[in-house]
Order: sequence, then structure tokens, then C-alpha cells
Amino acid sequence: MTGYYTQLIVNGIVAGSIYALFAVGLAMVYGVFKFINFSHGELITWGGYLALMFSSPPIALPLYLAVIPALLLTVGIGLAQDCFVFRPLRQSNPISILIASIGLSYLLRNGIRLFWGSDLQSFNLPLSTGIIFGDIYITRIQILMVLSALLFFSILYFLLTRTLLGKSLRAVSDNIELSSIMGINMRKVTWTIWILASVFAGSGGILLALDTSLDPMMGMNSLIKAFAAVLLGGAGNIWGALVGGLFIGITENLSVAFISPDYKDFISYGLIFILLLIKPRGFFGIAGGVR
Amino acid sequence: MDYLYHILIIALIYSIFAQSLNLELGFTGLYNFGHIAFFGIGAYASALLSLSGVPIPVAALIAIGLAGIAGAFLALPTLRLSGDYFGIATLVFAEMVHLLFLNERDITRGPMGLPNIPRPDWIGTGVTSLPLLLAVVFFAAAVTFILLRIITNSPFGRSLKVIREDEFVAQALGKNTFLIKTKAIVTGSAFAGLAGVLWAHYITYISPSDFTLQETILVLLCIVLGGKGTHWGPVIGAFSIIFFAEFIRFIPIPSEYTRFVAPLQGMIYGFILVIMMLKRPQGLISESRGQRTTNA
Repeated sequence: MTGYYTQLIVNGIVAGSIYALFAVGLAMVYGVFKFINFSHGELITWGGYLALMFSSPPIALPLYLAVIPALLLTVGIGLAQDCFVFRPLRQSNPISILIASIGLSYLLRNGIRLFWGSDLQSFNLPLSTGIIFGDIYITRIQILMVLSALLFFSILYFLLTRTLLGKSLRAVSDNIELSSIMGINMRKVTWTIWILASVFAGSGGILLALDTSLDPMMGMNSLIKAFAAVLLGGAGNIWGALVGGLFIGITENLSVAFISPDYKDFISYGLIFILLLIKPRGFFGIAGGVR
Repeated sequence: MDYLYHILIIALIYSIFAQSLNLELGFTGLYNFGHIAFFGIGAYASALLSLSGVPIPVAALIAIGLAGIAGAFLALPTLRLSGDYFGIATLVFAEMVHLLFLNERDITRGPMGLPNIPRPDWIGTGVTSLPLLLAVVFFAAAVTFILLRIITNSPFGRSLKVIREDEFVAQALGKNTFLIKTKAIVTGSAFAGLAGVLWAHYITYISPSDFTLQETILVLLCIVLGGKGTHWGPVIGAFSIIFFAEFIRFIPIPSEYTRFVAPLQGMIYGFILVIMMLKRPQGLISESRGQRTTNA
């Protein structure tokens, strides 16, 4: 019986590492620009669908090569979001930005439905053989998911703490006006944030699609979990996003053991509610800032 | 002609729904992204009660009351949150309500929905009942419009606007902002419940998929397009959006392309939201800010 719970926890870690990948982009954008980007979810979906497009006929690249143009295009969408919508709106009131991001998300989501239809799609992978450790069953893709999350977070850690660019990123999220007065190249910082957010979201989307399937709502559904992770970790806090993502993943998977699986999402949503009630600044709530 | 009645009824129901959200979003500055939950609660409560034999007017009143109570239930914990957080909390609330509709199969029949929702006997069924239905819905919309106009023009309405502009100023003037915002949400939710009741008894069939984020975006679009914080804005927005959606059906499209229509329509809605925010965030009608606010 303990095997059953261990299995659920392993499933939770797999799901959580993907939520963390989604959450970190959201947290970075929030940390610097102080708005919640609803269209972040669509970067996830577009990443997955673009990888599918490049790996299936007529292009039919092998999957590991198809990921490259897919991520490049996702980054393109992320930068275009900033260039055409969020930069012109930077000085306007918060509700305008929020509504614009909701509109943008709706636009991009329906773009997916236009090109690929609303039905479930999946990568035609050969049935992957799982690996069994004792009582625990895990697929190769799930191992890849956890490893990629570790890799991405290590790169991010190195970038933020060991490079000048990382230093300016931290400075900007601390105080955007003061940093630009001090001569930090704002354009470079903005680009870095959107590129990082898009790459994280896009690769998370591809991994999620490989593990399960693709549908136009996948981004929106994961986005709510990512919100939960960001809230848990404290807005604008990258490490909080990692811990928060893992916590959400494990909680909702463990809940399956006690409550009907239909309510799996209900648990993570309920968690957001309770968290907002008791700890609105998150458990690692360092007020504002990528640290 | 019957079709025109149908469009008018739908547009009027949406205008009630949009006006109710406008009270919160336009006048009070509360970003409620889960307003569809109250529409759904109103629809489900009234449908379930009338299906189990409660007279329809009573069921409708109870449903509106329940929507208001649910509004209070949402307001009490979430109103302590500011701006973006409140938006997420309401969005999550709506998703939770949606999941409840979907999974409490013993009560709501889950994804199969509730068919054969009754209408009052004096309205009747079928095509002949449409003019009378239109009259009822028009009456409800007019009452909503007038009541919300009275509320927003009252001293209470001015407090709402002060809270929207600067909550600290409202507090400094001795206003209990928490109580005022709670009242705004309860009122807005009750009117959303009214819209849901009308919807349920007009369409006579409801299912959880009628109450999703999609509808929230649609009603948000109605307000943003028409002009938030104005009395006529949401009404004009609702009529433009509903008539646009119905107009699209009459464009002759070869059958092999029909599957592209819905996504394209969605893309257009999303695009309008973005463009409105970029070019005309105040909407088609802009809020009159009175004589005393000089724009110098």
C-alpha cells in the first residue's frame, strides 16, 4: 500500500516540475512588469502544437530537431506579445493590461483551433516502455520532464546569480524606474525576460504534450495551476515558483487517493482559495522581485 | 421575424448580465473574472427548483437570492485581496463552480445537463410564446437598467467610483470600503443570477458547458466594447456582439469551411479586446466625468 502513495507522490513530482516551468515565466513577468499575463498559457499550447507540426508530415523532422524551430517560433510569439501589446500599454492602468492579455490569450487560443481543430491530438510515438523501480512505474518521458525542469532551473540560477545580465534582471525587478535611471539597458532586460518565459513555457508545453495529449485548452488549464504555484511561492519569486509547483503537483495527485479523481482540479483550485485567505503573500513572500 | 425575437431576447439577457458585471468592473473597479459563476448558479438553482415542482416565480426569486448569497460568500474572503489577486480568486471560483456542476451528477446530471426546464403556463411554449417572452425579458432588462442607474447615481454609487479611483481616499473620507464593495458584489451577483434565470427558462436546457470562461470573455467584451462605467455601454456592447454573432450565420460559407467560422469568430473577439485596450480603452461611449473634473 505504501507503494501506491509513493507512486502518487512520484506522479505529483512529475506534474509539479511542469507546473514549475510554467510558473517561473509567469513569476518573472509579474516580477518586472507587475501584471498577470493570461496569454502565458497560450505560449504553452503553441509550443506543444508547433512541435507537433514540425515533427509530423509534410515537414517530419525527428522530434529532437523539431523542438528547435518550435521553441524559436514560441519565442517569436512571446516577443510579439510584448512588442505589439504590452509595451504600448506599459504606462496605462492595470485593468487595461489585464483585459488585453485576456483578449490576446483568446485570440491565440482560437488561432490554435483554426489551424489544428479542437479535437485531442497526440504525438505518434512508439509506445514507450516504462521503467519499474520496486513498486514505482515511471515512463522515460516523465523522467525527461523532471530532468528538464532541473536543467532549466539550474541554468536560470546560474544566469541570475553569476552573470551581469542576471544582476540587471534582479535590479529591474526590484525597482524598474531606478534601474533605468542607473543606465541598465531596459530593452535587453525585457527581451531576456520574454525569451526566458517563452522558452520555459514552450518546452513545458512540449513535454506535457508528449506525456499526455494536445488540446487547445491545455494551456489555460495548466495556467491556473501555475497561478497557484506562483501564489504559493509569493508573486515574483522564482524559487517560490519551483517549490509551489511541486507542492501543487504532489497535493493534487495525492488527493486522488482520498477524493474522486474528478475533483483533482477542484483540490488545486481550492488550495488557491485557502492560500489567498491565509497567506496572500505566499510562503516565501519576499515582496516583489526575482531573487 | 421569429428569429429576430430570438436574437432580441438573447441580446437583452446578455445586456442584463453585462450590466451586472459593469457595476463591479466598470463602477467599482473590481476585476471579477468569475462572474459567469453567478449566472450559472441562478440558472441551475431556478431550473432545479422549478423541475422539482416549486412555482417558477418563487424558484426564480430563490435563485436570485442564492446568487446574491454566493456573491457574499465570494466577497468575504476575496475582497481583502487587491487587483490582480482578486481577479485570479474570482476566476478560480468560477472554475470550481463549473466543476461542481459537472461532477455533482446526482443533483445536476453532470455533463448531460438539465432538459425540459418549465416555463410559466401563461407564457406557453413554441413559437407563439416568443412575443410574450420578449416582453418579459424586456421588462426585466428595463428594471435592471433603471435600478442600476438609481444605484450608481446615488451617494452609494459615488462611493463606488471613489473606491475605483483611490481606495485610500475613500477610507480617509470615512467610508467602510469593505462593506461597500461587498454590497456591490452581492448586487452584481443577484442581477447576474436574474440573467441566468431568464436564460434557463428561455433556452429550457442548460449544461455545465454553458458556464465557462468563454462566456466570461464574451461578457467582458460586451462591457469593454460598449464602455465600462457607463449606463448604456454594456447594453450597446451586448447588442453589438450578439447581433454580430448572429449576422455571421447568414454569410454564405461553403460547407467545407464552416469549421473555421467559430475559431475565426473567437479570434475576432480576442482581437477586438486587444485593439480596444490599445486604442480606445474607455469603449465606444466614454464615461462622463462631470464638470468638476477638469482635464487641464
